[in-house]
Amino acid sequence: MFQLTDIPRILPEILLLVLALLVLGSDIFERWGSSDAARLERVRASAQLTTIGLGLIFVIALVQSGYVYKLPDDASANFFTNILRNLQAGGPGQQPIVGAFATDDLTMIARLTFIGAAFLTSLLCLDYHPNSNPAEFYAMILFSTMGMCLMAGATELVLIFLAVELTSIPLYILAGYFHGETRSSEAGMKYFIFGAMSSALMLYGMSLAYGFTANALAGNSAANDLTQLGKIAELAGQGGPVLTLAMVLIIAGVGYKVAVVPFHGWSPDVYQGAPTPVTAFVSTASKAAGFILLFRLLTVAFPSLAGSAVFGENLGGWTSLLAFLALLTLIVGNLAALPQMNAKRLLAYSSIAHAGFLLLGLIAWASPEQFDRDQGAVALVYYLVVYTLTNIGGFGALAAVSLAVGGDDVKDLNGLARRNLPLAVLFAICLLSLAGVPPLAGFFAKFYIFMVGWQSGAWWLVIIALFTTVVSLYYYLRMLKAMFMEAPATDEPLSAPAGIMSAISISVAGLVILGIFPNIILGIISRVQSIAGL
Amino acid sequence: MGLITLSTDIPWLSLTWLSLVVPSLLIAVIPDSQKQLMRIVGTGFAFVSLVLSLLLFLGYSPTVGGFQFVERLDWIPQLGITYLLGVDGISLAMLVLNGVVIFTGALMSWNIENRTKEYWVLLLLLTTGVYGVFVSLDMFLFFVFYELAVLPMYLLIGIWGSTRKEYGAMKLTMFLMAGSALAIIGMLAIYFGSGLRTFDMTILARNVTMSGDMQRIFFPPLFLGFAVLAGMFPFHTWSPTGHVAAPTAVSMLHAGVLMKLGAYGCLRAAMWLMPTGARYWMPIIAVLTILNVVYGATIAMAQRDAKYIIGYSSVSHMGLVVMALAAGTQIALMGAVLQMFAHGVMTALFFSVVGRMVYERTHTRQLPELGGLGKVMPFAAVMFILGGLSSMGMPGLAGFWAEFAIFIGVWEKYPLIAVIAAISIPITGAYILRAVYSVFFDEVKNPEFLNLPKLTWQEYTGAAILGTILIAVGLYPSVLTEIINTGVAPIARQLSDVIVAVRP
Repeated sequence: MFQLTDIPRILPEILLLVLALLVLGSDIFERWGSSDAARLERVRASAQLTTIGLGLIFVIALVQSGYVYKLPDDASANFFTNILRNLQAGGPGQQPIVGAFATDDLTMIARLTFIGAAFLTSLLCLDYHPNSNPAEFYAMILFSTMGMCLMAGATELVLIFLAVELTSIPLYILAGYFHGETRSSEAGMKYFIFGAMSSALMLYGMSLAYGFTANALAGNSAANDLTQLGKIAELAGQGGPVLTLAMVLIIAGVGYKVAVVPFHGWSPDVYQGAPTPVTAFVSTASKAAGFILLFRLLTVAFPSLAGSAVFGENLGGWTSLLAFLALLTLIVGNLAALPQMNAKRLLAYSSIAHAGFLLLGLIAWASPEQFDRDQGAVALVYYLVVYTLTNIGGFGALAAVSLAVGGDDVKDLNGLARRNLPLAVLFAICLLSLAGVPPLAGFFAKFYIFMVGWQSGAWWLVIIALFTTVVSLYYYLRMLKAMFMEAPATDEPLSAPAGIMSAISISVAGLVILGIFPNIILGIISRVQSIAGL
Repeated sequence: MGLITLSTDIPWLSLTWLSLVVPSLLIAVIPDSQKQLMRIVGTGFAFVSLVLSLLLFLGYSPTVGGFQFVERLDWIPQLGITYLLGVDGISLAMLVLNGVVIFTGALMSWNIENRTKEYWVLLLLLTTGVYGVFVSLDMFLFFVFYELAVLPMYLLIGIWGSTRKEYGAMKLTMFLMAGSALAIIGMLAIYFGSGLRTFDMTILARNVTMSGDMQRIFFPPLFLGFAVLAGMFPFHTWSPTGHVAAPTAVSMLHAGVLMKLGAYGCLRAAMWLMPTGARYWMPIIAVLTILNVVYGATIAMAQRDAKYIIGYSSVSHMGLVVMALAAGTQIALMGAVLQMFAHGVMTALFFSVVGRMVYERTHTRQLPELGGLGKVMPFAAVMFILGGLSSMGMPGLAGFWAEFAIFIGVWEKYPLIAVIAAISIPITGAYILRAVYSVFFDEVKNPEFLNLPKLTWQEYTGAAILGTILIAVGLYPSVLTEIINTGVAPIARQLSDVIVAVRP
């Protein structure tokens, strides 16, 4: 039963919806303005409203989670503590709302990641003017963010599907936002077709799982929520071909969303064609949401089908499948990035490769010890947070360059260090973090995920991953070389918009701090181990 | 007790590496036009770091031995990662070497006019990493500093280098990063294989709980990972290319200190933590290093570019270091560490003469084009000859004692290998004398050479410091050998009675 007291638990989602409607509504009253100056004014208004709103929602979600400050139980009651207490009543814990939406630590952390990513993305968009209907652009980002938050907490098949669609449909529109440009339209169309295909696959898998449980229960009401599904699957032993097929289809469906090889075909084109801030958003938040969904689905609904990733032993189950996908993803992603001439496309392949590393965190579920499984979850979430920060910084820097230069090829970066040294340094730090160079956060994230992967028995995969890391360094260094060693096309300074610079600075500060003191968030992240309903 | 007493309240080792982080941050905010100020700040703090490492050297008590000035802080306790610093005899010798080379390297960098700020920031960051490696006792921390020492090299060579610099920079970085990947494999194997779940090397070395088979499997990745940086055959090809491409101070640091980082890693991480594995693989490594020593020297003989000669001579000399490591006896290890020190000082001297004094003025390093420079800059000639004699193993200079100890140690274990390696001694003499002759003594081939600018005070000071050290250590080696011996003794003991160390 849904109760009124459940409202604070979904407050961030409600606020995102309200903000989205507000952004849309505020623009309606400005429809009169179609001159260039007026349109610019409309863009600014929507952009600033979105940014400020997202910043506020982030703060509210952070306060609500109680990670920074938790109100003690015996605090004296006054106006402020009452508000705080009511807000924190929606903090982590408790049973899922109507059995469909868990508000555990995983959801809280994921929510903060998505809202934070959306906030940084909207900072990137402040000076990146969409050409028509500005409000829709920002509202779509908000709707999509809301979908991601729901995706992270969904514990029921129907809600999962709805959340995935709510996330994806706005992103299709965003990718094709510049409909005057061929590449952008192509990106939107391609993204839509692949997305629809993957949704269909996932839905088919879900219906199979649902049907299987109905069958197993012999006429009783079938299991819709994940926990029950997991229990039934366990009762049914290995589950038989139907459940396995369902699982494979679901993995394939989510695999499309997170761009794992061989389901990655859409991503380079979409990343290259979409407006750069949108690329930043798709490559980070949307991918992170997919991984969190995959984690919850597999560990709650299919723990009995985990199998093992130890080489040559007991192959079967989803960890072996994921290990195989990770192998493909690491090799194809990193090798395909090598010859790329377009910086956005290069980063697209790099983020495909990163999906391969992330899969290692899921594979850790195969290890026999509870302790190591938990470590796997922590490593996965830490990697997601770091990866989100890094890629937003990287694509943000590219956005600044392409705004000024008008292109996003690697050669457009030539001599950036002489034209704008701070931007070049910040971009270089993001790239080095992606490559996994200490003391940046990317290094610890990789190291940690290698550790858990090794421990789960997939050491062969870790060794391959290590060597693909070396390969990846080559293409990151190519971009560094363009920025620092090549002669610039012109000597005049390249000015980067303040919004973009602040977004990149925030992410780089995060990378340095989290790299040197990972403990700051490791303590919080290690609470994800207690997944509601498990 | 050490010669001087240092207060135990001060985190000396943290100060050592921080003394180079501070100036790199300072220089980052100095306005672009104040180049002279950047140089003064950079060199000044390099001098501070040298003084700090000398203080540590004097404050260390050889009679007590072991690790001293230990600092321990929890860093990531869930994973058994600590911020653990400490120095023993081996690291102290390396610290002093690093201090000397960075200070003289900083002096040799005063002529960098192009993008001065970035140069100094990167140079100091690199040295921070080197200091960090030598003082850290936690494997994770060790690795973090190790990478920090390797990566700035890419930009330093790529931007300020010469002669196919971009190729050299990329080749060097890819080789070293592949090495790091191998080293991570070894680290993870130790972490999980020992079952201790800690990266604290003192604990891991005290209880070697890793099974003998595991050690035999995972010793090669860890050892090779670091040996790539030490220039071990067949993974040495990055080193001459990199040395030639790099700007002077970077060549000095690179051949002088960075390659030692590799050998130090081999000794500290691989051989110390996996003694059984080390015992198993040592003969094979020793055989490979013959190629280093003899082949490196032969190739050096065939070069026409003076920097290539020094580059290949480094391959040859570092081969001797790794060969001594592979012998693993007390005297051999002592010789290895002393050779690291002697070779570091000597190569730094070579590069400062050839790279800075000669190349910056004549703009060529080709032996046939040079000649007669002894008349133009006698000081440079004296210094180069001093380095050359040390390199050939002339008694009375630092190189002699190192090579002497190495050959004694290797002879004990592998007499045949010692004999074959000794072939390199005459070859070394030949290529050094050839270089000395054609650069400094031949006729002046290019009349413009007679009007070259005078040497600057920085060049005089830097080279004089390096030359003095070569002579001082040559005349009184026990200033170093005594302390080094306290450091290598435990490792040698562990290698000689592995039976105690192995618990299946």
